[in-house]
Amino acid sequence: MGNVDPTVKRETIYIASFVVILSMLMEAVFLIIGKWDYTVLLGNILGAAVAVGNFFFMGITLQKSLQKGDEERSSFVKLSYTYRTLAIVISALVGFLCPVFNGYAVVIPLFFPRIAIFLKPFVDKNYKREEGDNSIVEE
Amino acid sequence: MLDLAIGIILGGCALGAGCAMIAGIGPGIGEGNAVAKACEAIGRQPECRSAVTTTMLMGCAVAETTGLYALVIAILLIFVAPGRFVKILLDAVK
Repeated sequence: MGNVDPTVKRETIYIASFVVILSMLMEAVFLIIGKWDYTVLLGNILGAAVAVGNFFFMGITLQKSLQKGDEERSSFVKLSYTYRTLAIVISALVGFLCPVFNGYAVVIPLFFPRIAIFLKPFVDKNYKREEGDNSIVEE
Repeated sequence: MLDLAIGIILGGCALGAGCAMIAGIGPGIGEGNAVAKACEAIGRQPECRSAVTTTMLMGCAVAETTGLYALVIAILLIFVAPGRFVKILLDAVK
């Protein structure tokens, strides 16, 4: 953990906090529609852990790939993507096959990081678009 | 005849899941290209390292979502759809 880039750490914390907020929202929705039980909670915990872990390991991969050579870099990222996808597939299979997990509650939190990124320009004041420029800048 | 119909449903679902996972190829290639370009950018302007890393991280996460969509569709086609389709078929036969 000591050699993790501060940017990766910061973004992972941001994503994790959004995943927690959206998970609570999802639990509330399950409660409202009357489908809540302990399997939803366990599935949500598994899905949220996989979503945050996937983002964190992607950050670690990108951080490490910046120190690698030109040829090695692309294949390193692709290999990491394959392993992470495999981990997601296994967790989704566990979620659907194990009766202690609600399959939908495992799969839905996997999309929470995408929502967090979509909301980032509204939440983070330092992450905005300059007028007339399409690039996202940090002040 | 009913067995054949159920077999076709299961085969079609498996085939559909396999086709859906073709979309999983794209993000891997896209991420590789994104990292290569980000490295070029950092090489040109090392002082922008933090901003480039943040943008790359977010871009890669967005790119990966496409693969996740495909994965979810494939999982639904394998675990949820066959049961529903077979139930519809059996109801229609009755």
